This record gives sequence, structure tokens and C-alpha cells, in this order.
Amino acid sequence: MTVLWTFRSLARHPIRNGLVVLGIAVAAALLLDMTLLAGGMERSFREMLLSRGFQVRLSPKGTLPFDTEATISRVTPLLDSLRADPGISLAGPVVGSSIYLRLRDSLVTFVAYGFDPTAQGIYQLDRGMDLGPGDTTGFVASPAAVARANWQIGDTATWLGRLDPQTAVAHAERRVVLRAVVSFLYDAKGQRSIGANYQVVQRLGRFGPEDAASMVMVKVREGHDVEAVAARIGAVHPNIQVNSVAALVAQFRTRLAYFQQLSLILATISLVVGILLVGTILTITVNERIGEVAVLRAIGFRRARIVRMVMIEGALLTAVGSLLGVGLGLLTARYLDAILTSFPGLPARISFFVPEPVAITRAAITMFIAGVVAAAYPAWLAARSPIALTLRSNAE
Amino acid sequence: MLAMALCVSLVAASPAEPQEISGVAIERRLADRFKLEVGDTVALTTDPAGRPSPFRIEAIYLPKADPATALRGEYDLRFHLPDLAALLGGPDRVDRFGVRVAPGISPDSAAQRLNQSAFGYRAYPSDSIARESSKTFLVVSRFHRAIGVIAILASAIFLLCIMLLKVEERRLDAAVMRLVGISRATVFKAFLLEACLLAGVGSVVGVGLAAVATVATNWFYQRKFETTLVFANLTADLIAFGVGLSLLLGLVAGTLAAARLVRAHPLSLWRRT
Repeated sequence: MTVLWTFRSLARHPIRNGLVVLGIAVAAALLLDMTLLAGGMERSFREMLLSRGFQVRLSPKGTLPFDTEATISRVTPLLDSLRADPGISLAGPVVGSSIYLRLRDSLVTFVAYGFDPTAQGIYQLDRGMDLGPGDTTGFVASPAAVARANWQIGDTATWLGRLDPQTAVAHAERRVVLRAVVSFLYDAKGQRSIGANYQVVQRLGRFGPEDAASMVMVKVREGHDVEAVAARIGAVHPNIQVNSVAALVAQFRTRLAYFQQLSLILATISLVVGILLVGTILTITVNERIGEVAVLRAIGFRRARIVRMVMIEGALLTAVGSLLGVGLGLLTARYLDAILTSFPGLPARISFFVPEPVAITRAAITMFIAGVVAAAYPAWLAARSPIALTLRSNAE
Repeated sequence: MLAMALCVSLVAASPAEPQEISGVAIERRLADRFKLEVGDTVALTTDPAGRPSPFRIEAIYLPKADPATALRGEYDLRFHLPDLAALLGGPDRVDRFGVRVAPGISPDSAAQRLNQSAFGYRAYPSDSIARESSKTFLVVSRFHRAIGVIAILASAIFLLCIMLLKVEERRLDAAVMRLVGISRATVFKAFLLEACLLAGVGSVVGVGLAAVATVATNWFYQRKFETTLVFANLTADLIAFGVGLSLLLGLVAGTLAAARLVRAHPLSLWRRT
């Protein structure tokens, strides 16, 4: 009976209630987008960092991995020391540099990664055969690099390094064979990247001190605490920046604090809009029907039932609006994600809006609760209206 | 080269050193953080395990606010080129040259000529560098515009709802006006004027709120990132756009609602009140 009365009451003003539902849907969509934005960046970044299971990164003191051109010197003794740690199962260096290839008449720059094939955490194999331990004659390349150079697996390429800026004469070169096409995890969309054993890239790259690396990736042995291992490495090597994934995520959060705060502000605004919309419409509706409410009270409807009827009305409006809002929010999230992921140099795997079921449910429930809360004031107004006075004034 | 990480440690606030020490200029945030003064000596190195080189602080400066670097929180130091090259172990090497072309020469043609004359560098006109380096901000700007469209959509629906209700509340007034002989057009115009006034007052309040939000945003982020950058800027164009849009929305919502009201017969309006 109560629900039927509510439906009838809503059906009396289809345009008005249709607009309210639409308004709630837009507010819910914005709330959902901001909820996805607030958690999505961090989740996507953490997943990217952990995609190969390496939980700790070592970089030059005071820097983040690949944030500057600084390098860690004397990396071989550092690797020996790390591999002797019982809490570490794998430790691999990563060297980053620019390498040149002569393609037809022009010199083309490629981003080159050097790594230890037995402990690499920077790519996933797409096709071909991965580099074996100690392989210094093979290389891997990203699909964009393969497309640019028109390579086939098994082709030989001559890498040029330490280019003289005046004459373009390379002071170092190396002939290597393409073994596999890979996806580099930290590459921007369409980035031309190639990779080989780190000793190859060290020799070709522009590293001042010998035996230098841009970063060292560490995989902590199962059963050992990542933070404890990171702290231990930091204590043994005070001149190196040791970052666990949690610390890197915290740094990332600080740099993207703007988006977190923006999402918080816009989510709050969307909630306020939803509450105002439901509250205003129901208050006016209740005022319009105050005579009807007085009649219901006069024939024996209890105050609690009147409150329930108005609250159900608010809940229905908000539920339908929130459901529509989820659909609309997911669509707009894809569009907004496409805008933000076009940041120059951003790894292609980073996503700002990750549609997680938990976040979607949380946003929908939050908007629903806000709508129900917004209906509390008009419900209270309806319940406290004086029966006799209202009936008399309506009769007059 | 300038992006190389330098480790800075304060050696002593010494009055004078016997040997020749090179000078360095440091930015004010760094000076404030480590309580450094002009004349102090700092030890700088690119390798925390290596031997640092002493430098005397010759100047403390306020760097030009740059949105590309302000949010990174890094500190800025300025060296004489040979000193920095020696510190980095890369003598006679630079990252880039700045070239000023002679009057009457187009930067594009100069860059083209430079690119044809040698292999080992690439020359770009300043305009194209500015275009490339502002791509990040263009993305942020596009994102803001998209969010703005969603906000406008939400506020348009909200405004339409309110207008509809406001006009419906005036059914009795409309019925009386029509019954005493006032024409539909006059009633329509009266409600439309009311809607515009409501939207106008709302716009003025909105501009006030935006001004407060702008001040608060700048105050918060300038302190957070220790910069003089302006994060939010309420311009006359934006105010005109905001007020114009809300007046337009008010006009459209008022027209729809008032048209609905004047279409109905006055007696039916009277009965519905």
C-alpha cells in the first residue's frame, strides 16, 4: 500500500520527477567518476610496478627511478651484496640510454634499456624467444620500434652509441640480433624502445663511470617483509635511495595530489547537488500534498507511516537516478580517461579511471544514502503537520 | 645535465676560505630549508659516495615560477657552466644552446639552416618547443573543460527543476491574472522576467563563491608547493561566460516552465491549486 501510494504520487508529476532522476543521474555519474579517479590512479600505478613481482627499486640518492639522468655507480658489488641477502630472491640492474640506428639515410633515436635477462622486471614477452642468461648478442624491441625499423625476428641491427654531436660519428657500436618482440611495462604509447643485456647498453650509452645503472630492481623472497628488507638495504647502502612499491605509490600520490583533491571536491559537490535536488523537490511535493497527508493522518495513518512513504519516494528517485548514473558515469569515465592518459610520456599501462566493482558499488550506495537522508526533512515536515488546522485551511 | 641529482650538504658558514672556491647561486626555498646565507660554503657532489666539491653561495634568488617544475618540489641551483661541467665529469658538453637570430631572420628558416649544416644536434624554433612543453597543460585544460561540461549539465537540470517548481507554485497567481483579463503574453513575460531575475541573482552569488574559491585555491596550493604560481584565475571572460550561460539556462528553463503554465486554461489552474 505504502509503495503503491509512492508510485502513484511519483507518476502524478512525470516531467518533474523525470528531471529529478536525470539530475541525480548526472550527480551520481560525477560522483562515480571522482570515486574512480581517486582510487584508480594509485591502483593502476601499483599494479604496473608489481606486474613482474619486483617490490623494491634502488635509485641514485635523492631521486626516483628514471626521474633524472643520475646513475648508481659500482653496481656489480652492489648486486653481489643484494644477492647475498637471504630476504632477496632476485636483483637486477636497469640501464637507460639513447641509442641510435641508421635506417636508410637517417639516424633514428631509440630508447634503450639494459637489463639482466635472468632478473628483469621491465617487459613482457609478446613473441619470439627471450634473451638467455649472459646473451650479449641478442636484443628485444617494442612493437613501435619493430614497426619503425621494419624488423623481423632474427634480423641483425647495428646499434650506435656515444655519438659525436658535430660529426654524428659513433664512438661505440654493436651488432645484435632481434630475438623477440616485447611490451615494455613503463613505455609511453608508441614509444620506440629496444633492450639488451645491461653490459651492452652500458658500453654503448653515455655513462661516465663504468659499471653504472639507472636503477636496480629487487624481488623480495616469499615470507619476508618487503618494508623490512627495504629498510635493511637502506641501512647497508645509505648512499642509495631505496623505495618499496608502497613508498613509490606514496610519492606518486604526492605528485598527483591535485587530482585527489579535485576528485574529493567534485565528489562533495555532486553529493550536495544530489541532496539539494531530492530535498528541494520532495519538500515542495510534500507542501503541495499537505492536505492529502492530513486526510491520511485523519483516517488513521500513523506518523511513522507518513515518514516511510516520503522516505520511500526519495529512495526510489535516488535509486533510479543512481542506477542511470552508474551507466552514465562509466561512459564518461572512459572519455575522461582517454583525455588524461594522453599526458605526454605517461606509461601506456597507467589508467586514471579504473572501474572496480567496489568503487562503483560504493558510489551508488553513497548517492542512495544521500538521497534517503535528503528525504528526511520533507518526511519530518509531512509527519508534523497539524491535522485539524491543515484540513480546515484546505476546506476554506 | 641540469637534471642531474646533486647532493647538497652544508659544510660550514665560514667567513673565508684560503683556496679559490667557485660560486653557486641557490634558490630561496633551498636557502630557507637549510638556513643558508650568501657567503656560506656548501659541498656538492653527484655521487653521495664520492668526494664533494666546495662551492660558495654567491647569490640567493627566487626562480621564475614554472608550472612544469613547481609541483616536483625539487631545488634549483645555478652554476657557471665550466663548474657544473667539471662537477658532472662531462667537460665541453651541454644539453642545449639558446640562439638569438638576427633581426629580420625567421626562426623557422634559421632552425632549418642549422639542421642542414651539422648532424649531431637538432634545432627547434622557440614556438615549437613552447607548443611541445605545454602539451601537459593542454591535457589538464581539456580535462577541466570536460568536467565543466558535466557540471553545466547538472546545474542546467537543477535549474530547470527549480524553475518548473517555482512556476508551478504560481499557478494561483497565473489563474487570477488570466481571469482578470491579463493576456497570456503578459503572464508569460512576467514569469520569464522572474526566471531571469532568479538566474541573475544566482549568477551574482555564484561569481562571489567562485571568487572566494579562487582565493582559497591559490592560498592553499601556493603554500603547499612554495611557489608564486597562480593555480586558479577568475578572469572577466570566465565571469561573462558563467553569467551569460546561467542567464541563458534561466531563460530556457523559464520559457519552458512559463509556456507550460500559460497553455493551461485559467480555471483548470485554479482547480489544481
